[in-house]
Amino acid sequence: MTLQEQIRSNRLRSTIVVFGFALLLGIVGGLIGLIFNLSLGIVALVGAGLYAIFAILSSRRMVAGMTRAQEIGPDDLKPLRKIVENVSIAAGLPVTPDVRLVDDPAPNAFAAGLRPQTSYLGVTTGLLRTMPKRELEAVLGHEVSHVRNRDTYLMTMATIFAGVIALIADIGFRMLIFGGGGRDRRGAGGALVVVLAIVGLLLAPYAAMLMRMSLSRRREFLADAGSAEILNDPEAMALALKRLQVDTSTIAYADAAVAHLWVESPTSRVESERSGVNFLSGLFDTHPPLDKRIAALEEAGGFRLPDELPRDEPFARELGLM
Amino acid sequence: MVWLWVLIGVVVLVLVVLVYGYNRLVRLRQEVNTGWANIDVQLQRRADLIPNLVETVRGYAAHERETFDEVTKARTALQQAGSPAEAAAADAGVTAALGKLFAVAEAYPDLKASRNFLELQEELTDTEDKISAARRYYNATVMAFNTAIQSFPWLLLARPFGFKGREFFSAEGDLAPPEVTFAT
Repeated sequence: MTLQEQIRSNRLRSTIVVFGFALLLGIVGGLIGLIFNLSLGIVALVGAGLYAIFAILSSRRMVAGMTRAQEIGPDDLKPLRKIVENVSIAAGLPVTPDVRLVDDPAPNAFAAGLRPQTSYLGVTTGLLRTMPKRELEAVLGHEVSHVRNRDTYLMTMATIFAGVIALIADIGFRMLIFGGGGRDRRGAGGALVVVLAIVGLLLAPYAAMLMRMSLSRRREFLADAGSAEILNDPEAMALALKRLQVDTSTIAYADAAVAHLWVESPTSRVESERSGVNFLSGLFDTHPPLDKRIAALEEAGGFRLPDELPRDEPFARELGLM
Repeated sequence: MVWLWVLIGVVVLVLVVLVYGYNRLVRLRQEVNTGWANIDVQLQRRADLIPNLVETVRGYAAHERETFDEVTKARTALQQAGSPAEAAAADAGVTAALGKLFAVAEAYPDLKASRNFLELQEELTDTEDKISAARRYYNATVMAFNTAIQSFPWLLLARPFGFKGREFFSAEGDLAPPEVTFAT
């Protein structure tokens, strides 16, 4: 499969996922309709639809808000923009994404936007202060791959849908507890339906979350491979991941809702890696463990990482940020 | 009767495969064209920067005519290059000629300190980086396309429909592995 075909199969999968979420949404709406009455279910669905449309339209700003990414002036950080430009050209993107800066000491980066034309990359100041140029390029290559593979589109949609499903299920559940059922439901059959519906409402948000997580993990491997191919340098990506592994800081205000957007999980990475093979925590991780990602790159590139990381100058020095 | 249906089924299947294969080849070829357009933009940009650079250097080092001629010739060759291999060779020629020009500039401290010169130099370096980035993408698309038209069953389609393999963007010997000799 060529890379372009991988992208196409990715897009196909995206469509399936969007439909999957729509189906799940329909089920939740149906459950509410079943427990209370039909019109309430329809109202819930229409409300969810409107909310979803609003969220899609304002997703760009929302993500920027949640990640605290700041736009930078057109003349600032030119060397950084140039790297992004070159990586985008090598990736065959039609346009170069904007760059935004997140003022945070933890090294990390993310990509956002529904289409390549409106995408942007966010990098933390910590990333610039940690990574030498070669590894920074690899990280940006990873993010540009997300844009090219349309992962950003899928993940934004997945986030919004997961949010909407959680919201409606929550409202339905609360109404059930505090408001009481609308229709008369007596007898064993009615009770069974209500119990099933409660279980459904309880599980729906988790189903949505699982869908979101499993999606993003696969794509991390793909984006790592994409970066290695764009730059023709799998070792650079592996080195960058290793450097992220050595660094244990996490994003200070990390918002779990946008965790899957970052190059490495911005939240409780250290804990989840210590607990190791904990099945449940593994299921809900947005990112595969860094060890596995490094191993995949080593295998693909046919090299072994040295134990010591190269002590090159971080790129921030070239930018005059240090 | 059954045989008729089987025959129809087979024909339909073959048709579907044909259409899919043809569309795939068209798509891959289109990607090669896009990749080439990306390189072309950068080559053009590089060629556009050169007259400015020559004028700037001439202002400080008017008698280095030979070097100027060489750069101008290399630029013309780049603009006239038709095929990717020709363009790659011409581009390598421009790099060599510019190398000489910059070596000449070393002898003129005023020139080296001139802001205009420094800016042009930076622009040219940037263009070189972009050419090599665009080259990576282009060569990847060529690789995908050439592999597709040489592999079974698409090669049966490629010839009759006139899909021809494309050239990589690489100067001569660029892709050949370096020769290793052991001193005895």
